[in-house]
Amino acid sequence: MKISTRGRYGIRLMIDLAEHSHEPHVALASIAERQNISARYLEQVAVILRRAGYIRSVKGASGGYTLARDPAEIVIGDALRILEGDMLVVDDLRPGERENRIQHCIRATVYNRLNERVSSVVDRITLASMLGTVDPEESYMYFI
Amino acid sequence: MRISTRGRYSLEALLYLALLPEGAFASTRAISENTGISDGYLEQLFIPLKKAGIIRGIRGAQGGYLPGRPIAEITVGDILRAVEGSLEPVACLTRGTCPAEAKCITRHTWAQLYREISDCVDSITLVDLVESYEKQDEENYAI
Repeated sequence: MKISTRGRYGIRLMIDLAEHSHEPHVALASIAERQNISARYLEQVAVILRRAGYIRSVKGASGGYTLARDPAEIVIGDALRILEGDMLVVDDLRPGERENRIQHCIRATVYNRLNERVSSVVDRITLASMLGTVDPEESYMYFI
Repeated sequence: MRISTRGRYSLEALLYLALLPEGAFASTRAISENTGISDGYLEQLFIPLKKAGIIRGIRGAQGGYLPGRPIAEITVGDILRAVEGSLEPVACLTRGTCPAEAKCITRHTWAQLYREISDCVDSITLVDLVESYEKQDEENYAI
């Protein structure tokens, strides 16, 4: 049950852009270096985010990217769904696909509930709220 | 963010065993016939599940498997962890695995997500699943 690298890197890309929003635009190469992510991989992630309207590209010799929206309006759940395809713990039933009673029961009792809980977390976090969360003391609490 | 086939099949097999009368056991063949999961796959899944004490084997020609402890004490989280390993949504949550953890901005979000996932799966026991199975509309879901 993992978030893919695409999802994680996409969020880090937007965080980096938000942190450098005082600059007119940021070159992907400098994000790649700061974030220690391959520039080629980051380019693929940037294409997805640009198409979805999260970031804007600035053309030219000193071109790069900038956030296309206010960080307060970027809901992490939405961005993750774009990057990951969805945020579901199991595939949805295909039209006409049938489940036996056991599978149906587990879907209703476990998977649907898990999907709701996952959404409830990622849909209440925005890029802006994430930017205020560096607190090593607090993160200690969860991983003793 | 998918639960693996191993995880899904384990939950199905365990719910089947939990539905048996107390103390009764079932052969992998019977479990296979009732869940549609192949014998071979069940045997594979049962190795870690046995090791974790979630199921118990009865030896012999008439042997089989049954829940390893009272089903009120077996959670969905126990089952998933036994076959999937960690339920962390990212591999870098465990302390000391990432050199950037102290200044990582995303870590807190993944930690919240992990806590929510853990809370959820640890709060559902096999008894809850059995109850919800018995309540569900029988007409549409013939095995």
